[in-house]
Amino acid sequence: MSESSRLKFYCDENRCIGCDGCSVACAEAHELPSGVNRRKVVTLNEGIEGLEYSLSIACMHCTDAPCEEVCPVDCFYIREDGIVLHDKDICIGCAYCLYACPFGAPQFPQDGAFGTKGVMDKCTMCAGGPEETNSHTERELYGQNRISEGKVPVCAAMCSTKALLVGDSNEVSNIYRERVLSAGHGVKTQPYGWNVAYGSKK
Amino acid sequence: MKSKYIFIALIALTSLAFGASDSAIWGKDLIANIAGYDKEGSLHLGKYFTLLQSTYFKPLFFGVLVGVPAAFFIHYAVIGPMIFSHDRKKIYVFTLFNRVVHAISAISFMLIIPTGLVMMFGSFFGGGSFVRLCTEIHAISTLLFIISIVPMFFMWVRWMFIHIDDIKWLMIVGGYLNKDKKPVPAGRFNAGQKTWFWLATLGGVLMISTGTAMYFQDFKLEIIASYGISQIDLLRASAITHNALGIGILALFLVHIYMSVFAIKGAIHSMITGFKEEEEVEILHSSFYKELKEKKEI
Repeated sequence: MSESSRLKFYCDENRCIGCDGCSVACAEAHELPSGVNRRKVVTLNEGIEGLEYSLSIACMHCTDAPCEEVCPVDCFYIREDGIVLHDKDICIGCAYCLYACPFGAPQFPQDGAFGTKGVMDKCTMCAGGPEETNSHTERELYGQNRISEGKVPVCAAMCSTKALLVGDSNEVSNIYRERVLSAGHGVKTQPYGWNVAYGSKK
Repeated sequence: MKSKYIFIALIALTSLAFGASDSAIWGKDLIANIAGYDKEGSLHLGKYFTLLQSTYFKPLFFGVLVGVPAAFFIHYAVIGPMIFSHDRKKIYVFTLFNRVVHAISAISFMLIIPTGLVMMFGSFFGGGSFVRLCTEIHAISTLLFIISIVPMFFMWVRWMFIHIDDIKWLMIVGGYLNKDKKPVPAGRFNAGQKTWFWLATLGGVLMISTGTAMYFQDFKLEIIASYGISQIDLLRASAITHNALGIGILALFLVHIYMSVFAIKGAIHSMITGFKEEEEVEILHSSFYKELKEKKEI
């Protein structure tokens, strides 16, 4: 596979309404423990007119994933389609990946008697983990494996405004380009009026 | 009356719940951190940490771990150990308190350093439960280090300040480059021991604080936040400091072991019994020996 056919997330800030539906869907679909937010909706420039927008943030499945570079136990692996995954049986929960990540994506559930951090958990782009695909262990550790079933990751699938895009990076950029080019087209700026709404077509 | 208290208790509980959910890393600071990552004006710590951890720390640790013992092996083979007479008088140099404090600290080092190295070379050990166990031992044995470091600092600090002897000692590398039994300029502690003392105590405090920060991770210190340093940048700085200082501590730890066990035959016994051989003091701590002579203590 070529570099351009990596799977990527993209959140269209013109469409995201900050409803948090994606993060709720994610937490429910993968039955995440409380305190673990694989996906989070953030609002930038909050309260500044014209500049405020919301974005849905999770692991961005970076091409040059810094988490993978710093991991002292090499628990990360990057699938051929560009999905960055990790092995929880190897992870030691040192949190170096969190220090390297620009997005604050790695999560650490509270674990053990003194509330110390457990092994890392992050967005898998609904592609599970290294365990046997769709096995019970995989589901317990990493959540659903929707990719193996040919389904879209749950966050993007349920996004009501289709702001959150996921797929082959070329496809995603094509969709976004089309959206930008067609912005403003076919938008009625005048009221319809009775003759348009109920009148015959020409 | 009762309902009022229940109401207050409920409010207190909800505020607790909200307090707990307000993370210092994934809370409102998250936005500023994402937007400002490696931008002009930021501390660039994310980039620095990634570069250092991915490229430099492991080879540096490996270099020290292999290079220092290799240098000692050559030293031992070429120059050989210093052997002092065990037949002369013995001088009492370390009190029971000194030895107990040193023993606690020694045990903590023997736990902390190997487990730390297992973490640094975690991929060699395949990660998983063994390395995870080592991270826990690394953290728990810090408690031993903490209880020994404070008395150790105060019981020895008065002899640890720099002296003209230290410069002379450094000029001849402590007299270790030959086997001549010429008096080496040093007081109760020589320049090497002084360096190790400061690195282990002041450096130790830095190691403890940065390690604790990484262990507990999600907390907020107002004093740090007031300087405009975000929690994630504090953690990045902690990781960089912890690893960089760790290289130095590992190096001097290896030196310390070589000196006590191999380079000076029987030197380790002084930390067990409290007595040093008179000849050893006369040669290696000549200024201290003179001082004792003047005071007629020997």
